[in-house]
Amino acid sequence: MKLSAIILFLSVSLFGFSQDYKFGKVSKEELKEQICNIDSTANAAFLYKNRHTHVEYEENQGFFYVVTDIHERIKIYNKEGFDYATKIIDLNVSGSDEESIQGLKAYTYNLDNGKVEDVKLEKDGIFETEKHKYLKQLSFTMPNIKEGCVIEYKYTVMSPFYWRVDDFYFQHDIPVKKVEARFDTPEYFNFKMVSKGYLPLAPDISRKSDRFTFNNKVRTSSNYNSTTTFESNTIDYMRIYNNYNFKNVPALRDESHVNNINNYRSAVLYELSYTKFPQAPIKYYATTWEDVVKTIYDSPSFGDELKKNNFYKDDIDALLAGVTQPEAKSAKIFQYVKSRMRWNKFIGKYTQEGLKKAYAKQEGNVADINLMLVSMLRYAGLQANPVLLSTRDNGVPMFPTLNGYNYVIAAIEIQDGLVLLDATSPNGLPNVLPIRALNWVGRLVRENKSSTTVDLYTKQKSKSNVSLLADLSSTGELNGNIRFMRSNYLAMDYRNHYFESDQETYLESLSNRFKNIEISDFKVTNAKNISKPVSETFKFTLESQADIINDKIFFSPLFFLKQKENPFKLEKREFPVDFSYPTSKQYKLAIKIPEGYKIESLPESVHLLLPENLGSFKFIVQTSGDGKIIHIVLDNVMNESIISPLYYADLKAYFSKLIEKQSEQIVLTKV
Amino acid sequence: MNKFIYTNTFLFYLVLLCSSSGFSQEKVYTSKSIPDALTDGANAVVRNDETRIILEDVDEMLVSQKRIVTVLNKSGNKTLDAMVHYDDNVKIKHLEAVVYNKFGVIIKKIKEKTFLDVSAVPGGTLYSDSRVKYLNYSPSDYPYTIEFTVEYRTSNTAFIPSFLPVNHYHLSVERSSYTVSSPENIEIRKKEKRLSGIDLEKKEDVGVLSYIVKNIPAVKPEEFCPTFVELVPRVLIAAKQFSLEGVNAEVENWEGFGKWMYNDLLLDTADLSESTIAEVRALVENETTAIEKARKIYQYVQDKVRYISVQVGIGGWKPFHASKVDELSYGDCKGLTNYTMALLQAVGVNSNYCVVYADSPRRNIEKDFAIMQGNHAFLLIPSLENQDDIWLECTSQDVPFGFIGDFTDDRDVLVITPEGGKIKHTKKYETLENSQKTKGSYVINDDGSIHIEASIASRGIQYNNKYWYEKIERRDLDVKYKENWDYLNTITINKMEFDNNKNDVVFTEKIHLFVPNYTKKAGNIMLLPVNALNRNSYVPDKYKERKYPVIFKRGFIDEDEVEIKLPKDYLVEALPEPLIIENKFGSYHASCVVQSDNTVLYKRKFMMKDGKYPKEDYDSFREFFLEVSKYDNAKIALTKNQ
Repeated sequence: MKLSAIILFLSVSLFGFSQDYKFGKVSKEELKEQICNIDSTANAAFLYKNRHTHVEYEENQGFFYVVTDIHERIKIYNKEGFDYATKIIDLNVSGSDEESIQGLKAYTYNLDNGKVEDVKLEKDGIFETEKHKYLKQLSFTMPNIKEGCVIEYKYTVMSPFYWRVDDFYFQHDIPVKKVEARFDTPEYFNFKMVSKGYLPLAPDISRKSDRFTFNNKVRTSSNYNSTTTFESNTIDYMRIYNNYNFKNVPALRDESHVNNINNYRSAVLYELSYTKFPQAPIKYYATTWEDVVKTIYDSPSFGDELKKNNFYKDDIDALLAGVTQPEAKSAKIFQYVKSRMRWNKFIGKYTQEGLKKAYAKQEGNVADINLMLVSMLRYAGLQANPVLLSTRDNGVPMFPTLNGYNYVIAAIEIQDGLVLLDATSPNGLPNVLPIRALNWVGRLVRENKSSTTVDLYTKQKSKSNVSLLADLSSTGELNGNIRFMRSNYLAMDYRNHYFESDQETYLESLSNRFKNIEISDFKVTNAKNISKPVSETFKFTLESQADIINDKIFFSPLFFLKQKENPFKLEKREFPVDFSYPTSKQYKLAIKIPEGYKIESLPESVHLLLPENLGSFKFIVQTSGDGKIIHIVLDNVMNESIISPLYYADLKAYFSKLIEKQSEQIVLTKV
Repeated sequence: MNKFIYTNTFLFYLVLLCSSSGFSQEKVYTSKSIPDALTDGANAVVRNDETRIILEDVDEMLVSQKRIVTVLNKSGNKTLDAMVHYDDNVKIKHLEAVVYNKFGVIIKKIKEKTFLDVSAVPGGTLYSDSRVKYLNYSPSDYPYTIEFTVEYRTSNTAFIPSFLPVNHYHLSVERSSYTVSSPENIEIRKKEKRLSGIDLEKKEDVGVLSYIVKNIPAVKPEEFCPTFVELVPRVLIAAKQFSLEGVNAEVENWEGFGKWMYNDLLLDTADLSESTIAEVRALVENETTAIEKARKIYQYVQDKVRYISVQVGIGGWKPFHASKVDELSYGDCKGLTNYTMALLQAVGVNSNYCVVYADSPRRNIEKDFAIMQGNHAFLLIPSLENQDDIWLECTSQDVPFGFIGDFTDDRDVLVITPEGGKIKHTKKYETLENSQKTKGSYVINDDGSIHIEASIASRGIQYNNKYWYEKIERRDLDVKYKENWDYLNTITINKMEFDNNKNDVVFTEKIHLFVPNYTKKAGNIMLLPVNALNRNSYVPDKYKERKYPVIFKRGFIDEDEVEIKLPKDYLVEALPEPLIIENKFGSYHASCVVQSDNTVLYKRKFMMKDGKYPKEDYDSFREFFLEVSKYDNAKIALTKNQ
């Protein structure tokens, strides 16, 4: 069977219809196609996608620039695919330098009574918008879009920024039937390349000799006349070509609990590592992570900043007067920076204001604040170092690049390991970094510029402990006391919610969360003392917590605390589940049953484990000696922050079981 | 269908912007001095707002505003409004902000160049020339106070900022003043709304009109309460003589406004090529009635064009030419509405361009105050052959002919005719029209699992809630159903089939699903929840003190009939008692009847009428939902036959 399938496949590819990818050569077959043959659910598909990026020399002005030629042909199968008829092109701007577009041509093709008809995109359908200081956008939407049409466009982007080459994406939200890409540069440019995603993306590399011409204008003048001569010099060099060619790249679809879907999108990235021009010394941009770190550290906006301390000396001396313990010192400084400095919401590994100015303004970007923290900790004699990292939005850098890191935090080396600190969030805790910073690994840089990788995800569990003591009445009403204790991330979430607006609004949302609950004696402790877990207690009354059928009472053991929904609804999953941090959620309930009733049946206690010790839950139901009180314990522990899709089925079943156990019934009967 | 025409500029101008003058009460900069009544339910307090509008000429307006706001907590940052929208016709003369800490000490001064300057293109718009400069300030401590000053000049006088002292929920006002002055050649018109019962000073002199309001408490939204615009005081202001993008006009009522729109914005845009006219005439050749012709044309439009929003200059107000839409096969709501109108005209069917406030929360066009309003355009085919008016949504490629759903239903809209503008009320979907009929059967197995087969037919607004199901991918639909039935753990959906009958506007779902452990087993007892398909667990929020009346906007009726096959080894021990609730809000009927040894027939009918009730009724309104949610959780108790 297998053999015949292969033969069939070969014959199709040998004798099948051959496509013409020249611009404008859209075929009837392409227009007739009603469903995408490689993905029947696709609303649209790239029939062809070509990108050629090359570094060129401006002979008259004497500078290098990057040219990118784009040619794309897209098939639109149905109305849901119409969004792909709109294209937005980003153009970077930096001061007076900016990227520009040339030669935009675009057509829509339809089949009209068996004939191919085309409509051109006119100038008045092309718009340029200045999004902000650093970005312009060119946008257009194609005319005459109908189900089954094909659109095709080509254009060239000229960029003066040869050190910044856009990533080559081979995978999209829709399938790609054929993609070709080429990147070529003169030998003077050394680009580092790496790929990501599931496609094997090794380029086909070749070299060819080529020649530049330099035009020089030489003007000689004496007292009475001047002469101008034009000289042409040529120089031979090698041009290096990277070629890519793929067929039938499947669509990439997003899933819940995914860190950043772009981490899984098949792409090739190039970053300039050094330039070596004739008769000029090598200029390094980046090569290894160690080099990247050195380059960053040597920047005046990073390493030099760490050395400055005169401007805060007196304040820190005063702050630490009489404090001798290193732990106490670091705690004081961390608190001091958090309360003094306001984060201006800008992310960055380099300082924006510089420490001194930021300190005076009490405001700065991530680097201003966290490098200040490192500098102060060092000043106080602690072993503190910056840790560079890449935020979730920035994705996982696949190879050493300067842009690979875009964020910096502080780390203190202590006997038991490292303590990671981020002073940009007022509710931040040691080793509880903001979720945006939880991504991949960080790199700790010491003063001698040596560096090591650091695990950013905390091993420390974020805990929630709920205790509930209550009386159940024979009418199904529940009366009692409840306490929630939350630590780490769960405490941070709670505080963010609690301080969002006034307490009355919070209480309203709390009582509405549990439907018809009556709350009294509400109390929150350690809301502001963030080094301690936050606790919330209140008395409550809640009716309809049991079904009363004849002389029996039925109820589910966790009452209103029951988790209702399985968070995992997809049948299959491609990408890891990212919980961000490990958790331990425990419920302890003691329920006094109504007078005149006895326990008829209880759910079975269980202990369930996920493979590889990823997590476990215990569910225990017991009764007191006199049979009047039921003790229920539910303990749900997730040991890992990230779970491989290999265990998705286990994880889904685990949550299903967890929910099922919580809805099993306790039955009481009238004595 | 969430598609808007007019650039957001319009809405933003309504939000006040603007002023300067010597107001120097130091106390407004400290947060200590705020009266308690103003912090109740407030995330921020407008300490003082002085807005001054000077109409210098028909095409020259100077707007200035000084606004001092104390922000009490994080949520209050959203109400700062330290921003100014602008385009080619707006020149910003001055823009500045000063930040004070809670003690009233200046901690920061922010100049115009520090404001972020970005394109204000709303989602779904390909291009718009409107831009915004806004302040991106992140405070380190609360409360804090910002004094924001802006002054700008514009040649568009069609939108005079109205006086809207409370422009956000959870925002109270200590003092807010508004002045508009005009030269002799311009007549100012005004419409005051909800000014009674507030601390108000009003002065009306020749060429000057001014208002000062004080101590308005914050509005806290409640479920089922009137919309924000129906709760806050406002004065709408318009000039009889105004200018829009260089086009001058003189208008004082809807009739004149409609004539101006018709003649200056619409008339010359209804052009179509001879070939297109011939094409559509041929298309309807065999149709004898106007309705059938219109139906054909609407289908033609839905097949040919798509919605893309582009807003440039006067184009932000004037539709694209019909010939342009014909050529490009796309347009915004103005363009597509105008295009459809032109095509109908070509086949001899008369229709009118209409302006509306679109979106699910209903909002009327002001009946008796002619002013640029609305955010969407659609089409009216006035009563044909003694039938109802037909309203056509021209931006959707999917909705049935004449179906407008909750996007534009039941509200006053402006109809433009060559004779002038008229206000008309759109179709209201009545309670009994918005129905969902479920016919199903369960098979309960001995192990407690359940097989469900059901056919669900939705009409009216309930059609609106469902018809797009057929457009989404199977994987996403699977997840959607699991969310709808979130009370069922671990569902497997074996079949989902849809029938979208656009002629009768009925959407039918045919579903097969399986749920293991559906029933709750305890010892030899099995508890079987009777309602697996349409359980209402929603209960409106509770308020200590309800402030606003109760509005239930769109009534509905759900009727379910399910045959339950019990597992063969079990006998019925107890059935839920039949329940009948009838009240002013609606009704709920539910019953379970044993039909034979192992079959139970479950019937449920839940109806909510649309209506408006005094706030005193809120508790019983909520109680009704609570009762329904309790009974929707009713269970049959079965015992094992031993």
